[in-house]
Amino acid sequence: MNSNRSQQNNTEAETVHGSEAKSDLDQVLACPGCDLLLEKRPVHPGERLCCPRCDEILIAPKNNSVNNSLALALTGLILFPYALFMPIMTLDTMGLKNSGTIFDGIISTWHTGYWFVAIILALTSIVFPLIKLLLIFWVSLNLKFKRIPGYLPQLMRLYVHSDEWGMLEVLMIGILVTIIKMHHMANIEYNTGFFCFTALMLTALGSSLALDKFEFWKQIENGRAPE
Amino acid sequence: MTPLTSTLTARDAGLALCHDCRKLAPLSLTTADASVCPRCGAKLHFRKPSSLNRTWALVITALILSFPANILPIMKVNFLGGSEASTIMDGIIYFFQDGSYGIGLVILTASILVPCFKIISMILILLSIHYRWRSWMHHKALLFRIVEFIGRWSMLDIFVIALLQVLVNFTNLSSISADAAAPYFAGVVLSTMFAAITFDPRLLWDA
Repeated sequence: MNSNRSQQNNTEAETVHGSEAKSDLDQVLACPGCDLLLEKRPVHPGERLCCPRCDEILIAPKNNSVNNSLALALTGLILFPYALFMPIMTLDTMGLKNSGTIFDGIISTWHTGYWFVAIILALTSIVFPLIKLLLIFWVSLNLKFKRIPGYLPQLMRLYVHSDEWGMLEVLMIGILVTIIKMHHMANIEYNTGFFCFTALMLTALGSSLALDKFEFWKQIENGRAPE
Repeated sequence: MTPLTSTLTARDAGLALCHDCRKLAPLSLTTADASVCPRCGAKLHFRKPSSLNRTWALVITALILSFPANILPIMKVNFLGGSEASTIMDGIIYFFQDGSYGIGLVILTASILVPCFKIISMILILLSIHYRWRSWMHHKALLFRIVEFIGRWSMLDIFVIALLQVLVNFTNLSSISADAAAPYFAGVVLSTMFAAITFDPRLLWDA
């Protein structure tokens, strides 16, 4: 019976973007982890829907997703230059002082001759985090004002793909490990960059967590439907 | 959330789940090459294309790269004219001898245990698909989700070395710089992350 019904879906959707086929398809959901077809039911914010077969999270709606991710992404963008281009800390040992920024770390890796490592560092700590913040900011700003320009789905796709390549959280742990490593040997003075970076990491993480992909895609789709 | 039947998949029903936006869209086998997602424009496939081949290739790459990554020195410490190179393991042993067990454990986990865990888990999952082992399905699905989640955390050591390189730079007294293993180590992290991206967990359930 099921295969009959979907067969019908198939032909309808091929002929026109039929509203019947669409509404029928809206009743079901497939698990991205195991492809099981499931019947959709309404989910409330804060609730988390998991696949009964493989436990993959299907939908985890969030409250006020567009506004929250917009606000956090904007804060992150403001903090961004300070976090990466201001000195994080100053080491003081036997009267010698030295400080550095995260950007310096990449440059000096480049100068040591490890350009491959330097490129990966630049991508994971600057390029992707910045792209992610810009994308979240721009997409949620558009959704907030109910504007869905034709390129918005492409931007949202770019966000989906760049998501795991921004590694500010890992870099934060890296900074903490560095501090613990050095605090026996030198006096550590924390500079502007350290506090800005901590704040940036938290806001960037927050904006990703606040972003409800399911809801964003739904709004993009609904906004484009009438055209 | 109730399944339509206990085993009916989207593919059985002629529906493909978009890789990018997770929209369900009808996809017929004959036109499968040309179909794009009606919502986001991504190419539609029932499963990620040549997933098993790509994942095997990347896992084997990671395995090969992990030898130079662990054998070669990853960091060089120059102190008063002398210089001492240390491998990842040397660095961890140093922390344990120093009594900093917590931090030693963090580095041990991120730099050695996580990469090993990722490679072994992926090989196990791939073999289980190849030989159609139908037991422990839930655990294998969970294992893959863990591999996906922890992927990025092994970059930790590379970040620490880059930071030390800048902060510990007291011209004649002491300085720290990255060493030969660094690019191989970064290569292990990248290839395991790509392996998790190219792998399609649905293949576990198809087998």
